[in-house]
Amino acid sequence: MNISIEKKEFSEAVHIVARFAERKSATLPALSSILIIAGDDGIKLRATNLETGIDLKLPGKILADGVVAIPAVILQQIAGSLAHEGKVTLEHIGDIVTVTSDTGKSSIKTVPYDDFPTIPFPENPKNRVVIAGVLLKNLFTAIASCASPSTVRPELSSVYLSIEGGVLTAVATDSFRLAEKKVPLSNNGSQGTFLIPAKNALDIAQALPDNDIVMSFDEHQCAFVGDHGLLVSRLTNAVYPDYRQIIPKESVAEAIVLRKDFETALKRTTIFSDSFQKVRMQFDPKKNTFSFFARNADVGESSEMLPARVSGSALDLSFNHRYLSAVFALTAAESLSLTASGIGRPLIIKGVGDTSLLYLVSPMNQ
Amino acid sequence: MDKTNPKELWEHVLTQVELSISSANFNTWFRNSFIAKIGEDNVVYIGVPSQFFKDWYLKKFHTLLLKIIRDVSYEFRNIEYLIVKDEQRKTPKETKNVRGALELPLEEFYINKSDNLNPRYTFDTFVIGSFNNLAYSAAQAALGRPGITYNPLFIYGDTGRGKTHLIQAIGNQFKKQYQGRKVFYLTSEKFVVDYTDSVQAGTANRFKDKYRQYDLLIMDDVQFLSKKDKTQEELFHLFNALYDTNKQIIFSSDRPPAAIPDIAERLKSRLASGMAVDISEPDPESRMAIVQKKAALHGVMLSTDVIEYIATTLSGSIRELEGMVNSLVCNAQVKGGAPDIAEVRQSLRSFTRPQKNISVKNVVDKVAEFYGIDEESIYEKTRRREVVRPRQIIMYLLREDFNISYPTIGTKLGGRDHTTVIHSCEKIKREVVVDSELSNEIQNIRTLLV
Repeated sequence: MNISIEKKEFSEAVHIVARFAERKSATLPALSSILIIAGDDGIKLRATNLETGIDLKLPGKILADGVVAIPAVILQQIAGSLAHEGKVTLEHIGDIVTVTSDTGKSSIKTVPYDDFPTIPFPENPKNRVVIAGVLLKNLFTAIASCASPSTVRPELSSVYLSIEGGVLTAVATDSFRLAEKKVPLSNNGSQGTFLIPAKNALDIAQALPDNDIVMSFDEHQCAFVGDHGLLVSRLTNAVYPDYRQIIPKESVAEAIVLRKDFETALKRTTIFSDSFQKVRMQFDPKKNTFSFFARNADVGESSEMLPARVSGSALDLSFNHRYLSAVFALTAAESLSLTASGIGRPLIIKGVGDTSLLYLVSPMNQ
Repeated sequence: MDKTNPKELWEHVLTQVELSISSANFNTWFRNSFIAKIGEDNVVYIGVPSQFFKDWYLKKFHTLLLKIIRDVSYEFRNIEYLIVKDEQRKTPKETKNVRGALELPLEEFYINKSDNLNPRYTFDTFVIGSFNNLAYSAAQAALGRPGITYNPLFIYGDTGRGKTHLIQAIGNQFKKQYQGRKVFYLTSEKFVVDYTDSVQAGTANRFKDKYRQYDLLIMDDVQFLSKKDKTQEELFHLFNALYDTNKQIIFSSDRPPAAIPDIAERLKSRLASGMAVDISEPDPESRMAIVQKKAALHGVMLSTDVIEYIATTLSGSIRELEGMVNSLVCNAQVKGGAPDIAEVRQSLRSFTRPQKNISVKNVVDKVAEFYGIDEESIYEKTRRREVVRPRQIIMYLLREDFNISYPTIGTKLGGRDHTTVIHSCEKIKREVVVDSELSNEIQNIRTLLV
């Protein structure tokens, strides 16, 4: 194999693909490698950790066809150190790959690629959706952080995606808060639901291009195909709890605040939160104010009062501030609406004018 | 090797595969797989974690695996690969973070739902006999139309009769039958603590709201509410609130509502206003059924004579029976195989009440003390009623519990004829069956003697 690629293209591609390689060294060496294929389809970089997989196309000149596997970490370090404009060439002779850029030359020992697994495509991808990559990317990065980091319940460490009536709904929860975000789809024929592990969703989001891609899935596998190549992930095989059931229908107090005010007030209050990261929230419909309060025995205490449109009855609730601030990543709305349905019941946060988001956060014991 | 056992077959396959591929390959591809089932058409189904594995198995290992299982038996026709659900896979153990301790989880997602019910107590594990048939039927009826048929349902009986099991089983069944409705189980002690805490914290209103939201409230051991006037008042109001909205309430206690001391009349009458059923002493047949069921739950089959021995020879509540069965099961697991009667006797020695060689005088003392009569009068020739009855009971106890011969009993108790003794014993024996008060008294005396 002998190929020549633009440095910038090469390092970007390696950076993306390396995330998909297995990071644990105990497993098969092929899994912690990047497979470089030069053939009739052009140059492709491939990596998988058996959870997710990537097959990325790369523009470049092929001088001789061939396949080679190189340890991902080494390749990533080399790609990261490439500077200036220009090209880089990779030449494979024997079990050595020689990487040549204008300033230097490095020889890397290759890994046998016989063990490199295939990247499985969904078996019968009858569910296909076309969506802009950038939408999906934002959706995944915003939502996936709300999923549970624990692996005890696989369904909670996954993002639930449902396609119905031309709308793609993504839901994630770690059982203390829940985020639901909707994205309209251009074609509304398809429908179905699947659960993608949140960790995989983040990896995929990072590799998605901005232009349109085709998302297809079956029971066990999903794939994202675009001009740039192919991304796949295994799906979680579990039943997602009926989350709609826990969304409170009644409202006891509602406040509409400016996001800017809310964000700065929360930020300052957070400094004084205790080891449980608790901040107290107060709805005062009489004075039309909304206030934060936090006390830390070691630091001191702080209270913030914001002008707000408050309706309903006066109410005090305490929350983990991390769960409250998570909402800023989920919506870009100028104002936020907070709807409380009583003591010990979850609070609903929505962006005013942003119907795509529903964020539910459970209070702390007072 | 048993070729119909998927586990053994897979073990065999693994040992063979390990020899033919590199250990890195083996660890990567075979650690998380297993034989899910062997189909009736002799197709072996291998469960794998994901599509990656399925594709790779088909591509790389199919011929190897097929060869290995064909070597075991030619009957195996083919191998198919299934992607198994995540729950069936072993997940790495991880330590629970304690940080979230204060946060209230979104209800439906929380693993331990906040109903306090122990999922172990279900109707499937509940043994129904003549002693608890009525209570069981009442429970079923209450479940059929909760809040309407028997409200409140009051279940009482001595300790270890299965009250808690029954009421928790109702809760679990209710949860299953009426999804989305709320159940809460608590002991009266917890209620008291909760109440005092809420008063202290000044959140009495929250306390009220908390309990009023339940569709089924189960309160265990209400007798402990006696003398707790304020809590009783709170329960009274809670009761009214739930009752008026047709929410089912279930109580348990060790005695009937009317017999609970130091409890406000208005609460007492309310406790008794629905249906009060008792769980009586289990008859020997029921005890046998219970022993059998408990042992079977642990996967141990006991022979009939062993079951009979445990159920009849050893006295004690159902809870103690359970303890005996557990110790037997443990013994059986250590030794392997079901224990025979000799072993059972040996291992259950710790449960049998010590049969001390009690002196006749001691028995006389205790009984006389129990009935508040002078012990000398027992030995005298008097025929006063208050003396005759205790004397007969003494004879009965000496004969039944300590196996002393009739003539000896006669001579020890002031030189009476052995026929007198026989008559007394027979008389008490007959009466015990019909007179529950007498049988209670004798039970109490027995506890004094141990």
